[in-house]
Amino acid sequence: MTDQGVHEPLLSGRRLLLAGASARIGLLAIVIMFWILFSSLAPGFLSAFNLFTLGRSLAIDVVIGFAQMVVLATGGMNLAVGSIGVCAVMTSGYLLQILGLPIPIGILGALVLGGALGWLNGFAIVRTGVNSFIITLASANLFSGAMLILTKAVPLNALPSEIGAFGKMKVASVVSPLLLIALGIGAALYVLFRYSVLGRQILAAGANSRAAAMSGVPVGRVVILGHTLSGILAASAGLMVVARLGAAMPAVGGEEWLLPSFLGPVLGGTLLSGGTVAVIGTMLGAALVTTIRSGLLVLQIGNFWLQLFLGLILLVAVLLDRYRGLYVERRRLGRQ
Amino acid sequence: MRTGELLVRRLGLGLAAVACGLLPGILAAEASDNKLALIPGGPHPYFAPWEQAAADAKRDFSIGAVDFKVPQEWKLNLQTELLESLAAQGYKGFGVFPGDAVGINSTVDELNSAGIPSIALAGCAQDPTKVAFCFGTDVYNSAYLGTKELIKGMGGKGNIVHLAGLLVDPNTTLRKNAVEKAVSETNGAVKLIQTVADTDAQEAADQKINALLAAQKDEIDGMIATGYIPSVVASKSLRTLGDKRIKFVGIDDDPIVLDAIKDGYVVGTMAQNPYGQGYVAAYVLDLLVGGSCTVKDDAPWIKTPQTARFIDSGTLVINNANLTAYKDDLKKITADIQKSFKDKYLNCK
Repeated sequence: MTDQGVHEPLLSGRRLLLAGASARIGLLAIVIMFWILFSSLAPGFLSAFNLFTLGRSLAIDVVIGFAQMVVLATGGMNLAVGSIGVCAVMTSGYLLQILGLPIPIGILGALVLGGALGWLNGFAIVRTGVNSFIITLASANLFSGAMLILTKAVPLNALPSEIGAFGKMKVASVVSPLLLIALGIGAALYVLFRYSVLGRQILAAGANSRAAAMSGVPVGRVVILGHTLSGILAASAGLMVVARLGAAMPAVGGEEWLLPSFLGPVLGGTLLSGGTVAVIGTMLGAALVTTIRSGLLVLQIGNFWLQLFLGLILLVAVLLDRYRGLYVERRRLGRQ
Repeated sequence: MRTGELLVRRLGLGLAAVACGLLPGILAAEASDNKLALIPGGPHPYFAPWEQAAADAKRDFSIGAVDFKVPQEWKLNLQTELLESLAAQGYKGFGVFPGDAVGINSTVDELNSAGIPSIALAGCAQDPTKVAFCFGTDVYNSAYLGTKELIKGMGGKGNIVHLAGLLVDPNTTLRKNAVEKAVSETNGAVKLIQTVADTDAQEAADQKINALLAAQKDEIDGMIATGYIPSVVASKSLRTLGDKRIKFVGIDDDPIVLDAIKDGYVVGTMAQNPYGQGYVAAYVLDLLVGGSCTVKDDAPWIKTPQTARFIDSGTLVINNANLTAYKDDLKKITADIQKSFKDKYLNCK
């Protein structure tokens, strides 16, 4: 995995490890540079209010990034991240408000639905052999459409008050508990990809599915599991949005999540071609995007510039990804 | 005249001129250093007058800053991020068109907890909400008056079509009910033959309205639009067709609609008062910031399906008779609301 070195199953040399680490250090340095810049130009950037809201937005973006990252690791992509997220949002609202179930059951129900929708994606990809881009593009519309038909696009705003209170809670005056949850999820993913067999199988399948299959890795099952995990993570992000808004709204998620879902992982060092993940990198990538977005707003640089900057960041991220891909390929050839 | 005397007289005149310029502001209110912002849901021509309203309110009430800030797109998260960043920069009060009637409430609640009041402008937040009140067009009354104007223009009989906004918008239901009520009062002389919904987007309006006119032009005697974009599109379509037989009443005062009224293609349009919304909101926010004034519980609020605290910002029909003078009428409505606002709706120390 990238946080320990690029493409570990095939390339685990010290130089690559250092290359991965230096990329993350570089990203961290850029984030710190922006923090210094924004805080010196706009004192409001470091206000408790801004730090809290920035951390909360970051938490959601990080988990959205994770949801994409675990599928990128398998060599695929999940364009239905936002659709699964909004389905989980409305399911939690239905369970908590309409059925009046306890909060843990509502949360569990939403996560199970997210996992099930992700599993469906994975199953369809493995069974049909069609590219994940096509399958998840179709399922994104399918899931969103079904959600709109079932909910009639009516928001649910009478959820238990504890949900909204949790979203507004502050730890040590500035830290949102949502950020702590995102860090917890990150730690769990780190362990999964670093120490578990499943994590290594996902990376192997993503790096070269044929070689992985010949080595005994159940590639189909691993791809399905990757998508299931992505669904659960998308549902987690959806639940964080529910806590943030104190309501279950059909207007959240969807296509709005696409850009942040790719920006975090790709900036952080996850290859679009699969076989690598960068858990810490994804968090740093999301931090960079959230920092720039917040900083530009606080600096009152025209709101319309924001889109331009985000587009530029994505372009830089893709170019970096291309460079990293070429680098990995060269190393691979060099070792053969 | 001696040079010294001339200088004194000129100086005196200059000082008098400066005093005259400043006096209205000084008399109008004590200067405050409050920073306020008016924030629409996203870019839309309806909100353009808020910018001038913000500048005028800043000058007239000597407010530290009243800024007009537009989220880059119609997305709730972009609006809430903008609100949060402005709060971080020290803005102390917001007039907001909610990007989502429900979704805006958590942000408003947080701002309120930080001592930052908000007013829902031009559109309401769904109760329960922490916005001080909702200040906008009474959409039911506007659609009712507009339909009456249309029926009058049609000579009291014929078939009409209602070009409505988003079906899931609660205001659309109110407007539909208002049109139906005005039609029912004709005892069958006027028939509502169709309600075409979801027309408040350029492409949808173009397709639906032009298809409607192509297919049923001869059966339609009148049309009423209750959204900004269908008003403009229908005005253009009727001009293109050269059809003055079909009577049409729109909403808002886009120049295309006003020109169509002048040339006889459109009977009239229902003016809303976006300038007044922005101007009065800035005045009230300045009073609410710091807690010297609070909103009365027992004020004469209008109850709507969304909120129990609604204030009508005023509406009137623009037709050929008042085409040149309607802006003065709106200014008068705005001045009346502003002057009586404190006594009617606020408790001040």
